Amino acid sequence: MSITAAVVLAAGEGERLRPLTRNRPKPMLPAANRPIIEYVFDALVDAGIEELHVVVGYKRDRVQGHVGSTYRGVPVTYHTQEKQLGSAHAALQARDALDDDFLVVNGDQIAQGDLVADVMATHDAESAVTLAVIESDDASMYGAVETDGDRVTRIVERPGGDEYRLLNAGVYACDASLFSAVEDAIGDGESLTMPNAISSLVESGFEVRAARTSGLWTDATYPWDLLAVGQQLLDRGDIDGTEVREGVWCADRVRIHEDAVLRPPVVVSSDSEIGANAVVGPHVALGQNVTVGSNATVERSVLDADTRVGAGSTLVDCVTGQGVSLGPGCVAPGGPADVAVGTTVHEDRRLGALVADRATARGGVTFVPGTLVGPNAELDAGTTVSGVIAENGRVMR
Amino acid sequence: MCGIVGCVGRPDETLDVLMTGLSNLEYRGYDSAGVALSNEALSVEKRAGELEELENAVRTTSLHGNVGVGHTRWSTHGAPTDANAHPHTDCSERVAVVHNGIIENYAELKNELQARGHTFESETDTEVLPHLVEEYLEAGTDPESAVREAIGRIEGSYAVGVVVAGVDAIFAAREDSPLVIGVADDEFHLASDVPAFLDYTDRVVYLDDGEFATLRPGGLTVMDAEGTPIEKPVETVDWDTEDTGKGGYDHYMLKEIHEQPQAIRQCLSGRVDELRGRVELEELDRLARPQRVQFVACGTSYHAGLYAAHLFREMGIPAQTFIASEYATSPPPVDEDELVVAITQSGETADTLSALREAKARGAETLALTNVVGSSVTRECDHTMYIRAGPEIGVAASKTFTSQLVAVNLLVEAMNGNDAGVLTGLRDLAGDLQSVLDRVDVTAAAERLAAAERCFFVGRGLNHPVALEGALKFKEITYVHAEGFPAGELKHGSLALVTDETPVVAVLTGDGEETQKTIGNIKEVESRGAPVIAVTDGQVELEGYVDEVIEVPATHAHVAPLLANAVLQLIAYRSADLLGRSIDKPRNLAKSVTVE
Repeated sequence: MSITAAVVLAAGEGERLRPLTRNRPKPMLPAANRPIIEYVFDALVDAGIEELHVVVGYKRDRVQGHVGSTYRGVPVTYHTQEKQLGSAHAALQARDALDDDFLVVNGDQIAQGDLVADVMATHDAESAVTLAVIESDDASMYGAVETDGDRVTRIVERPGGDEYRLLNAGVYACDASLFSAVEDAIGDGESLTMPNAISSLVESGFEVRAARTSGLWTDATYPWDLLAVGQQLLDRGDIDGTEVREGVWCADRVRIHEDAVLRPPVVVSSDSEIGANAVVGPHVALGQNVTVGSNATVERSVLDADTRVGAGSTLVDCVTGQGVSLGPGCVAPGGPADVAVGTTVHEDRRLGALVADRATARGGVTFVPGTLVGPNAELDAGTTVSGVIAENGRVMR
Repeated sequence: MCGIVGCVGRPDETLDVLMTGLSNLEYRGYDSAGVALSNEALSVEKRAGELEELENAVRTTSLHGNVGVGHTRWSTHGAPTDANAHPHTDCSERVAVVHNGIIENYAELKNELQARGHTFESETDTEVLPHLVEEYLEAGTDPESAVREAIGRIEGSYAVGVVVAGVDAIFAAREDSPLVIGVADDEFHLASDVPAFLDYTDRVVYLDDGEFATLRPGGLTVMDAEGTPIEKPVETVDWDTEDTGKGGYDHYMLKEIHEQPQAIRQCLSGRVDELRGRVELEELDRLARPQRVQFVACGTSYHAGLYAAHLFREMGIPAQTFIASEYATSPPPVDEDELVVAITQSGETADTLSALREAKARGAETLALTNVVGSSVTRECDHTMYIRAGPEIGVAASKTFTSQLVAVNLLVEAMNGNDAGVLTGLRDLAGDLQSVLDRVDVTAAAERLAAAERCFFVGRGLNHPVALEGALKFKEITYVHAEGFPAGELKHGSLALVTDETPVVAVLTGDGEETQKTIGNIKEVESRGAPVIAVTDGQVELEGYVDEVIEVPATHAHVAPLLANAVLQLIAYRSADLLGRSIDKPRNLAKSVTVE
């Protein structure tokens, strides 16, 4: 069955990635040096999709402003989900723009390889929904799928344990019965996710099929996952840019001092500058207009647009948001740490520091591993910071 | 401003191609539209009002023709009516003409023609042309020569497209008004601007002043003013139709406001080396530090010029800014030591081009600061610097003003030995402006201003041009009277208009003398009961003097006004939206003003 339209869900914030999502939704966070949503679009366009319908909500200007009205020549139409009432409710917002069967895809998870094509090939006129499933040891940590042959019998969210092997990759081919099910279920204004909606279709006796695929699937749930995702993409060489030598990708108009060292794999985006004797890499992604000062060392880090790393700083396992400014001699030695997200403490996570948009460290600041610095926070020179620094917070010496 | 389209070589689709072209030119602003198709006879339809009126009219008739021309009109001579809409025809209904520009000797020609028995249907200057062509045709002249002869009789500025019944050709000519030809194998398109035919081809021939072109299916010929055939280069434009959708926004203007961080990055890209503390402008490597500078510009670009002159004076170079239409008719003293900078987004602004020619005639070195690659101003100036803002469709300029100010800063730094603080400010600017878009809420300010009958915008120093631009933006799209002033000037007269019903928007960045004095001026209006909205970077305490504070990030004094300006754009947009105005196409206004 030929499918030409895809609904990309990009309305949710991604709370577990706070404080990075203060100014933009999770699909706009960087996977290596590009927003996650671009990988989703690439997979769809490569699979032959001719219409992109993007459901936006939380901080929608950031998605619209970045993507514009086409992506690689494919027209992009926006649909607004005013209240975040779940992914199935989000997909419903695009209903009027869709005629035939269509895809629904999460805009904040990276689905690559043959994944999209496999779902499109498996979907047929008898199926209400066909969803991509991947064999994975991590199935029980995400959405797990139970099947009978290629029929889906149940979808379970984060069941835990180790009895599940099939993971729901968040790529669905659907016919219009999805929307009827969603409408029935949310009549009373409750929220509804895609897995719940599909489960109710299964219960009502609709044909829901699993397309087993060997495609690649990656999700960043927590801030430190962005480092792992970046690392994976760099290791696979899945980087959009000119590979100037093996494992080193540089955009046009970057300025790299002749005495700087780039240790592959590493990607440097346009208008970034690297000073004399700086050592950048391995596993580093620099966004647009990033400056790494002379003698600085950056390892296994994702530094988003406009970040400045002062001379002589050392950053290991760090994630920075946009417009972060680190003065000279800042140190984040990296390594495993216990990180507090909301009310949960995650133990032994590899995170040197997470510094959110427009935070400033004046110089000589030491980041204890696992530190989360909120947006616009100011850290005085010479301070040592740890734990969680609030948005607009000030750490004085 | 008026738009011309034309098409030969698509006999079954002529009407569709013309209508698509007209719709692609809608953004230029217009008040009436029409088409003429040529077969054995001519078919002409034209309507005042929106393009939709014309679409309804052509749907009920069956217009056919191997060739055709179309036009969107922005009134200069005569009100927007069906009769005054183009194309205009002669008495025999054999010649149809679309025209942009102004025919200066039309009154004289019209009297002569009327004396010889021609009857006129419209009040336009254009209508003399078809009647002139008619006379030459009746005298036995071939159609091409008849059109050339007729054009030889007119004075003024023009871009013209002519079709003649029974002739499979469009005749076209230009003088001081833009005209381009799109080339696609055996079919040719005529247009006043490239987006008209981007759906069909990206290969373009730019006509120059005095040239005459004949477009026939299968062949294009261009002649110079003397009638000698010339070879014209075919250029490929890198514009993409993709950039011209609304991208999920209600209006192009809001989309363009949100595109500013990207526009800033594009303008700076490859031009700033922060670690070495240098700005490099390859395209201006032959331009030395000038003795004196004059800026000529109109509208929003004039405000960019005021900002630019301020920065040049700060670096010790005498600089002045002139409204181009005034400069053109009464130029100041100019000689070869002067650098004259023409600032025009479109590169086609007739007043600016006219001022530029006055300066060139007096020996000045010239620099174009523009957004449109290959536009007329780039071909007339000694040097060109592009602002790289990308296409702007909203009639009210937003991102192009920001990009102009960024480009001006680059120019100043390149000439003045590079101030590290400014370079840092420039590299921070995209992120800072993004932060304004992310964080600033102008709802309360917009509600207050939208409810007022008039309002004032004030600022000093570099914030003075920003106040002027804020007022211009506001009145353009809200239709509410707004005026901008240097903050210290209000008390010399206009303060008489300030009451508790006239909100005042004050722009103050930094904490220097200008800001302290602006606070004094705020107290003057506040004590007359005026509601005050302050746009500030938080360097001074304003609590108690103002009704509302809108804060932008603190940055270098040269770039802080750009952040304040973004707030004023948002205020204008939100106010106009509350009032339900036609934001992308305000009444009476045109995007690129190609008449003087």
